[in-house]
Amino acid sequence: MPIEIPKDKWPGSIKKVTLGATSAEGGTRAKSVTVGGETTLPYLHFEAPTPNKPVIAIEIKSHRPDDWSPLLGEVWGDAMNDPAQWAKKAEEAGADIIVLALTLADSPEDAVRIVKSVLAATGLPLIVWGPGQAEKDNDLLVPIAEATKGEKLMLGICEDKNYRTIVATAMANGHVIQARTPMDVNLAKQLNILITDMGLPADRIMMDPTTGALGYGIEYGYSVMERLRLAALQGDSMTQLPMIVTPGFEAWKAKESKVGDGVPEAWGDWKFRAIHWETLTAVALVESGADIIVLRHPESVKRVKETIEELIAV
Amino acid sequence: MQHTVSFTHEEKQSSVSVPTGTMLSDAAHLAGVEIGQPCGGQGRCGRCAVLVTDGNVRRRSTLRLSPADVEQGYALACQTVVEGDVLINVPPQEKIERRLTTDRVVAEVTIPADYDFDQHQSIHRVYLELTPPTMEDQTDDWARLQTALRTQANIPEVTCSLHFLQTLGKTLRDGEWQVTLVVDRDMEFPEKPVRLIEVFPGRVDDYSPLWGCAIDIGTTTVSLWLVDLVSGHVRAQVAEYNGQIARGEDVISRIIYSGKAGGEQEMRQLVLDTINELVETACKRVNAKPEDVMKATISGNSTMMHLLLGIPAGSIRLSPFITAVNHPPVMLAKEVGINIHHGGAVDCLPGVASYVGADITAGVLSSGLEHAEHVSLFIDVGTNGEMVLGNRDWLVTCACSAGPAFEGAGVVNGMRATQGAIEEVWINGETFEPTYRVIGGGKPKGICGSGLISLLAEAFLTGVIDKAGNVNLMAGNSRVREGAHGGEYVLAWGAESESGEDIVLTRVDIDNLLRAKAAIYAGFSILADTVGVPLEMADRVLVGGSFGKYINVEKAVQIGLLPDMEWSRFEFLGNTSVKGAYAALLDWRMRDRITEIAKRMTYIELSADNSFYDAFTSALFLPHTDMNKFPSVAAALER
Repeated sequence: MPIEIPKDKWPGSIKKVTLGATSAEGGTRAKSVTVGGETTLPYLHFEAPTPNKPVIAIEIKSHRPDDWSPLLGEVWGDAMNDPAQWAKKAEEAGADIIVLALTLADSPEDAVRIVKSVLAATGLPLIVWGPGQAEKDNDLLVPIAEATKGEKLMLGICEDKNYRTIVATAMANGHVIQARTPMDVNLAKQLNILITDMGLPADRIMMDPTTGALGYGIEYGYSVMERLRLAALQGDSMTQLPMIVTPGFEAWKAKESKVGDGVPEAWGDWKFRAIHWETLTAVALVESGADIIVLRHPESVKRVKETIEELIAV
Repeated sequence: MQHTVSFTHEEKQSSVSVPTGTMLSDAAHLAGVEIGQPCGGQGRCGRCAVLVTDGNVRRRSTLRLSPADVEQGYALACQTVVEGDVLINVPPQEKIERRLTTDRVVAEVTIPADYDFDQHQSIHRVYLELTPPTMEDQTDDWARLQTALRTQANIPEVTCSLHFLQTLGKTLRDGEWQVTLVVDRDMEFPEKPVRLIEVFPGRVDDYSPLWGCAIDIGTTTVSLWLVDLVSGHVRAQVAEYNGQIARGEDVISRIIYSGKAGGEQEMRQLVLDTINELVETACKRVNAKPEDVMKATISGNSTMMHLLLGIPAGSIRLSPFITAVNHPPVMLAKEVGINIHHGGAVDCLPGVASYVGADITAGVLSSGLEHAEHVSLFIDVGTNGEMVLGNRDWLVTCACSAGPAFEGAGVVNGMRATQGAIEEVWINGETFEPTYRVIGGGKPKGICGSGLISLLAEAFLTGVIDKAGNVNLMAGNSRVREGAHGGEYVLAWGAESESGEDIVLTRVDIDNLLRAKAAIYAGFSILADTVGVPLEMADRVLVGGSFGKYINVEKAVQIGLLPDMEWSRFEFLGNTSVKGAYAALLDWRMRDRITEIAKRMTYIELSADNSFYDAFTSALFLPHTDMNKFPSVAAALER
């Protein structure tokens, strides 16, 4: 007996957001990347196609980080000393987008120079994160936004207590905004309202709902993303934004990935475990509807990309 | 700055000189021109429309005027402030009735129409003429009094205190065997022994006052009404911050404090001190002495009741949240520690649960919810927000912690709604310059609850703060600045204020206010969800609480404290807890009904349900994350 699979038709859909601008579009990128546009829950191909598949961003830092796992140091090597080199290697490793994270040590002049060097080294769209301290973020991101007008960078990270300056400069210089909230549907929606209230169109905002690594709250992060997506599909316009997640950052913070010494023997091979940790965290988030996945290890990038291809192909 | 406002009304002219920012309706009142405000001056009925023929005014709201009306110069007298010399034409077609102006400090009290001192009051006077003793009649004084009570007053059985016996002999002789007793009798069960409280020499005038007091012990504010039990009149109304505030602003921190060594005794003494001071103040106003007060009926939340009585309250705080006692028996004032007559009765009204106390059962009585034909919502806004949804057939209730912000506490420049408090604020959206109204009209000392609501709403609508409450420091305006705890808005410069210091609204204050309003809104949205009745279905919203009477509906809706529905469905009742205590103080039948209400109410424990947190964070925004719930605010923002 043939079984008819019921199909849901949702009133809402996810907005499309494009990062990076080619020379035709007023920038210097070799290509731009568009994410979003979903009209149903992730990978339900029988209901609707996935218009833009999830993409991988690789996170690099403006200075060689001293708190990253030695495993990452091993794989990136000397490239970590030069953001431009690092970006180039990241592109070779399969990145669709580069995330450049600035540090508290960067002066505005240095930051602008580094951003420009990264833009020159790769043709990929660029996401720039401030060091994560409100005042410093604003000090660095404003000159960067001005110096890269038209490149359609994504600037981050906006939070509900510090968003005005970054949004204002993104509006003035044609960039996109990364809006982060701490794992809560309402808070995510509220920040989107605050940002659009300032006049930035919704198709220039991506939500960062925050996540936890495998074993560190990923279930909660997953369910918040799922609820955001359900709300969006049900027609709530302030949740209809594509999502960026940072499993690389989260997973490499976990003891299981970060350290190899002094852990139980039963944990097994360190490198094997660490890459699994990042990959599994990322794949769970891909399944919950993430559109940009920010990773750190090239091997994880490879595996997550394969998974995405398989999800799309089914 | 002073301005001349000239009115033309029914071909008569009158004018008055008023300062900038005076409401047109107030100026009219001063000029002797009557402009009716059926909606109570909240800009919602449009019946106070006047024509501004010349000069500068600012319209806060034009909700009931069409753009064409405004173009012609129409303005709502209750929503328009004077900003220069103006000429006003009051349309003659308005039949304006004089309305009683409500006194800010003294709430209107209606004596129950059917109140009959003899029938309903438990405290009575009994006048007796005793046969003097002789060498032949060697009966003792006490037996002689009992005989007289039996034969002259039909009181067969009595009890009394030792103190009564100690004073009896002298009083009998001072009064030459004619005395007036004050007695406490159980009106429901007349066969029970009657308790003799006090004996006075001679005959006391039947109509002279016999005092009782109704007390509401709020977490933040204690209110006391001094009542003449004979006539039923409330003769004095006084209120003061609860002395326990120094030991914690909410019930939880008070319970924790009382659990420390000596804490219970200290907490008890602190609230007793507050009450006893209020008794004294109230008595002075009517030229009476505290010992003339023969009965106190007390309402308050369960924690306050426990702390007053020195009963360990620890179990209220800990799961499964059980009180030691929901319904204490009637006790003697001396035992409780309240300085009224030491033999006076102290009647603590019954509560329902740890977080729904006597203040709510008394509030339900005075709000009339228990008789409502259609589903109605009763909200008591205080440090705790308690709400009851229901009608004459069913009542469900829940409680949430709002914090003391709406009572003016826990806010840098907050204060109670007394002389010097800024009670209403308007902000110019372009200049961020405020206009405010001060209780009593003098220099401002601080901001009271209604002023805070008004300020928050205005700051939000004019963009001084965003929907998350962040102060817009990018505006480049001197009124907004970086303070010690984040952004702040200067409502009054030091030069204008009583203390000489700036009066500000800080980011921390805003967060406190947001949390308070979010807790309350979340509470009743959960309550409605639980019983499956949409909030909009509520026929009436009955709002009690110490600021309840003065709150501006429009502003309260704009900040998302109250649900967005037609204003005509809101009723503001003031302090329903003290009103309920007053009703119970006067009439034993009302007292019985409160007990019945307590039994009828179904309590919903919000902490047993994870939906509260979601509803709370959703409401932690101006006015709410879901704008569809607040169409009128969305429309106001469009304007």
